[in-house]
Amino acid sequence: MSLGIPDRTAGPIDNALDEDLSADLASASLVLARRFAAGATLWCVAPAWEPHAQHVAVEFVHPVIVGKKALPAVALTGPDLVATVRVSVRPGDVVLAVAAADDPAVRSVMRRAAAWGVTTLWIGSGARPTAGSADHVLWIDDPDPRLPAIGGFVLLYHLLWELTHVCFEHPGLLSPAPPECTEEVCITCSDEGRLGEVIAPGADGLAQVRTAEGAELVATMLVEPVQAGDLLLVHAGMAITKLDEEVAR
Amino acid sequence: MSELASEPSAQREPTGFLYPFLDAEERDQDSLLGDLAASARAKAAQSAALRSSTLAESAELIATTAAEMARRFHAGGRMFAFGNGGSSTDSTTLAALFARPPVGQALPAWSLTADQAILTALGNDVGFELIFARQLIARSGGTDIAVAMSTSGSSKDLTAAFREAKRRGLFTIGFAGYDGGEFATSSDVDACFVVRSQSVHRIQEAQALLGYQLWATVHEHLAKIHGHELGEQ
Repeated sequence: MSLGIPDRTAGPIDNALDEDLSADLASASLVLARRFAAGATLWCVAPAWEPHAQHVAVEFVHPVIVGKKALPAVALTGPDLVATVRVSVRPGDVVLAVAAADDPAVRSVMRRAAAWGVTTLWIGSGARPTAGSADHVLWIDDPDPRLPAIGGFVLLYHLLWELTHVCFEHPGLLSPAPPECTEEVCITCSDEGRLGEVIAPGADGLAQVRTAEGAELVATMLVEPVQAGDLLLVHAGMAITKLDEEVAR
Repeated sequence: MSELASEPSAQREPTGFLYPFLDAEERDQDSLLGDLAASARAKAAQSAALRSSTLAESAELIATTAAEMARRFHAGGRMFAFGNGGSSTDSTTLAALFARPPVGQALPAWSLTADQAILTALGNDVGFELIFARQLIARSGGTDIAVAMSTSGSSKDLTAAFREAKRRGLFTIGFAGYDGGEFATSSDVDACFVVRSQSVHRIQEAQALLGYQLWATVHEHLAKIHGHELGEQ
């Protein structure tokens, strides 16, 4: 074909769900159901394909199956997406992105998620985000740039909706798993280094910093100068490192 | 149907009171996760089978519809896409595929759900049924194309839009599910793609692929048209 638009009739259909992706979907759905059960809102972003964010939101808010619970989900769109997500989310919420791995706004949101106390889901295709970029990565390893328009993402978030509602039929599993660590001192649970985002730098080497626990005053003399939006590792009330844009998380 | 549906719980109920903590103590997370993953694979397989059979059934209609769309685009026509709910987002994705394609020539196409001011003004002043028809009156002409995506094929705002589109000479393309609804029998719909399924989700997944295939085939026809023109020079 002269225009180089190959037939996609085989590709996307062959793109069946493999074991790994179906397992990722299952665990993402259970976590999402648990967060909803605890009062979370699902915030959906898709900077390059905003209709996908809106489609996810309408699935949860206005279920196609009569009798299924309406759940709080919102599509965030428009310019300055990071600021819009920042002002919207509360600790315990969930952010779902439909985006390529190199989307700058989504990368920034994902880097800040721990400071905001939100769980992250990332749906996309092509090159994968760096391991650990999001709590749950639901990925189609197909580099075709037309993939967002042929229904593969729609299938993934439809399944996420369907499985999340299956989880609601198992109320005993909706309370979070008991914490694995009960020791008095533990690397995971102690204040080894929590991510914080500077709300406003202050005088006297102190800054207002947002962490998963809320806003707190943090000593910044080791990492000066700091400005609003900087990401810091906070240990015992002290910022011990300032993270570069690309290193955070 | 309600009797069948209630049967399992009716069987459970007589003994349920003996185990009040059964649900609360359900910690069999791995078993649930295994069931969820298997269910996801089964549904994905159903989706793939439906997409495959839908494309096969629609092959001829895709070819003729894309040929007419290409003829109209070549003559300066433009495409207006619309739908309700999830279908509105899918029609917006389709319009974006035409207007901002990842490869190939950009073609003029818009979603009629993009402007909240217009939607709420029309919905409030003249009624929800006319939110798309009125936009077509204001914007469209006889060489244009109207595409409505729906699962029922019978939404009043969409059938009203097709009525108006047909009156104005637009080429009208409907996407529906189930048995095609009103789209399937309406003389206002020039080409009706029906995804034969009872599941809204599976219907939408198949419609996305149909829309993609339509776009790809439009480009094949445009390439032929351009080829002929070059040959004539």
